Amino acid sequence: MVGTTRVKIVRYSPWLVHFNTGACNGCDIEVLAAITPLYDPERFGVKLAPSIRHGDILVVTGGVTKKAAIRLKRLYEQMPEPKFVIAVGACGCSGGVFSGSYSMVSGVDKVIPVDMYVPGCPPRPEAILHAILKLLEKLQKSKASKRRAEGVAEA
Amino acid sequence: MSSDPLEIPDVLKPIENLLKGVAIMKPGRVVALLEPSDVVKAYVALKVRYGETGLYFSTLVATDLKDEGKIRVDYYINVLEKNQYVVLRTYVPRDDPRIETLLREAPAALPGECEAYDLLGVVFEGNPHLRRAFFVPKEVAEKGIFPLRKDSGV
Amino acid sequence: MTEEVNKADKVVEIPMTLEIPVGPQHPALHEPLLIKVYAEGEYVIKAEAHTGYNHRGIEKLAEKKSFYQDIFLCGRVCGICNTVHADCYVRALEHILNKEPPPRAKYLRTLTMELERLHSHMLVLAVTAEIVGFDTLFMHMMRDRELIMKAKEIVTGNRVIADYIMVGGVRRDLNSEKIDKLKKILTKVEPRIRYYWRVFEEDVTLNKRLVDVGKLTPVQVTSHGLLGPVARASGVATDSRYHDAYDAYAEVPFRIVTRKEGDCMARSLVRFEEMQVSLEICRYILNHLPEGEAVPDERRLPRRFPEGEAFTTVEAPRGELTYYVMSKGGVNPYRVKIRTPSYNNIINTVPFYVDHTIADVPAILASYDPCISCMERVIVVDLRKGTRKRVSMRDLARGDV
Repeated sequence: MVGTTRVKIVRYSPWLVHFNTGACNGCDIEVLAAITPLYDPERFGVKLAPSIRHGDILVVTGGVTKKAAIRLKRLYEQMPEPKFVIAVGACGCSGGVFSGSYSMVSGVDKVIPVDMYVPGCPPRPEAILHAILKLLEKLQKSKASKRRAEGVAEA
Repeated sequence: MSSDPLEIPDVLKPIENLLKGVAIMKPGRVVALLEPSDVVKAYVALKVRYGETGLYFSTLVATDLKDEGKIRVDYYINVLEKNQYVVLRTYVPRDDPRIETLLREAPAALPGECEAYDLLGVVFEGNPHLRRAFFVPKEVAEKGIFPLRKDSGV
Repeated sequence: MTEEVNKADKVVEIPMTLEIPVGPQHPALHEPLLIKVYAEGEYVIKAEAHTGYNHRGIEKLAEKKSFYQDIFLCGRVCGICNTVHADCYVRALEHILNKEPPPRAKYLRTLTMELERLHSHMLVLAVTAEIVGFDTLFMHMMRDRELIMKAKEIVTGNRVIADYIMVGGVRRDLNSEKIDKLKKILTKVEPRIRYYWRVFEEDVTLNKRLVDVGKLTPVQVTSHGLLGPVARASGVATDSRYHDAYDAYAEVPFRIVTRKEGDCMARSLVRFEEMQVSLEICRYILNHLPEGEAVPDERRLPRRFPEGEAFTTVEAPRGELTYYVMSKGGVNPYRVKIRTPSYNNIINTVPFYVDHTIADVPAILASYDPCISCMERVIVVDLRKGTRKRVSMRDLARGDV
C-alpha cells in the first residue's frame, strides 16, 4: 500500500485524462481499477477530468499507431500548462509485443514528452497510482514556483 | 483429414447432391467440399432442414493458397440442432476470386465477407458493403495491396 | 437510406475500440468502429457502422512468428479475456500435434477461464449500472471484483494478462495453501454477487432502464450470429462449453443459462446466473483437482509442427470465440484466423437500435458487452444547428443531450 506521509497537503485536485492509443485494454482496466475505492486515489485529490482542457495529467495506454499519434499530439496541445504525461504499460513505453511494426510509432515518447514510465503488461494499479503520486509532487513544486514567478504570495 | 466419399455424415444429408467431397477437420468438424456457385444453395438447404433458429453462421475464413493459384473460402456453420459444426469449403481462382454473397441468407456473414474482401481481395457479388479500407489502413488499400496475401510484402 | 437521414435532426457518433485482430502489421485499434445513430427528436431512425479502421495486424504478425511465440500474441488480443484466447489457440495447436494435456492441467485451465468470466461479467455489469446512473453500485462491484483479480493472481501469477496456458498444460501448479486461499475468496465473493443480483432484479431505476429495452428475438439472434449472453438471454441455448465440452467442462457441474425476455435486463440476469455457475465450477475444481502433473516439460515440445489444420471454439465471457490454425509444416503457422465474439455482437447488432430512444442506446450497447475503453465520450452532432459536442455515455443515457 502506498504511504500517505510522503505527500504534502494538496492545494488543488489534479485531474487525469486517460487516452487509449490502441491498447489491448489490459492497461485500461488497471487504470480504471486504480480509480476505484480499493486504491482510493480521491484521498490524494486525484479524479478523472471532465474534459481535456481541465486535465493536469495525461495517462496514455497503448503503443501508438500513426493515426492515434496525430490525435495524441492534438490532445497534448489542448492541455493547459503545467501538464504531465504518464506512459502506461510495455506498449506505452516502447511498443511492447507489437514494436517494430511499420505502422506503429513504438512508444508514447516518440510523439509527446513523457514524464513517467510505468512498465508492466499490464502494470498493477498500485504502480499506476504510485506514478501519479510522484507526479503530484512534481506538479505541486511547479505550480508553487509558477505562482512565485507571477508574484502571488503563497497562502 | 480423412476422405470417405461413400459415407455422407448425417448432418450433410440435406446437401448431399451438392457435395464434391467430404472430410473431417479436427476436432470433429464436418467439411463439405463444394463448387463456389453451390455455397448459397447449400446454406439455404441447411436452413430449410434445421430451421432459422436451428443453426447460425459463425465464421468465414479465407486463405491464400498462392502455390496452388487458389484462394480457399471456408464457411463455418454451427448446426445447433445436431450440435455439429459444418464447414462449407470452396476454392476460387486467385486471379479472379469471386463468389456470390451469403448476406441475403445470413446477415451474420457481413463482417466476415467485408474482411475477406479487404484483406484478401475476394469479391462477394451482391454485397453492397464491400469496400477497401474497411479494415485495412488507407495507405495500404490505396496501393492496391491485400495484406493477407502471401505476396503482399507487408 | 438518405430519406431517413434527411429527417434526422441529430447524429450520435459512438467511437468504439474492439478486440478485432485483423489486417497487416497494424497492431493497434483506435476507434476502428464508429457507430452512427441518426435520431429524429428522441427516436433513433437509423444506425450504421462506419469503419475508419486502423487495426491490429495480429493475424499477419502471427504468420511471421513461431507457433509458440503466437501464444503470447494471441493472449494480448484482448486484455480482459486473454486466458480464453490463449486456451483456444493452444488447443488448436494440440489438435494439430495430436497431443492432449493431462487432466490436472485441464481442470486448472478451466478454473482460470471461469475466474476470468467472473471478473469480466462483474466489469460489464458494473459499467451497465454506472451508465444508468447507479454510481455506488459500480464502485461496490469494482471493489469486489478485486477479490477475483486476487484469485486470478494466486492461480496464474498475474492479475490481468495470465500467460498461463502452454502447449501440453499450464505454467504453474496449485498447492494446498493456494487452494485454501482461493476457497476463502470464493466464499467471500458469493454472497456479494447474490446481493448485486438481487439489486438488479429489484431496483426501480435499473428495472425502468433495462426491462423491455433492446429486445432481440431468437430469429434475430441466429440470423445475425449473435453470441454468448446476448443469444442466451433470447432463449437460444448455445454455449461452446456445451457444444465442444473442451478442457474439463464435460466433468464439472456446468449448465447453459437462458432466459426468454431478450431485453437488457435479461442479458444482465443471464450474466449473474452465469457467475453463479462459474462459482460452482470453481469450487468443484478446487475440491476435485485430479492428481498428476500439470506443467509439461517445455524442452520436450516439438519445434516443428506437422501439416494439419484445426478449428477450435471457446466460450469467452462475451460469447463464442473461434480460432482457425493451419500448418503446412515448419515452425510458423500458415494461417491463423481469430473471430472474436464482439465481431458479431457489436457489428451485427447495429440495425437493432432503430425505434429506441437515444437515451436507451448506451444501455443497449453496454448489454452487448463491448470493451470497457469504449464507454467513454460520444459526439452529438446537432444537424440543424451544425454544432458538435462531446458528452459522456452517462449523460446520453440520462437524456442530457
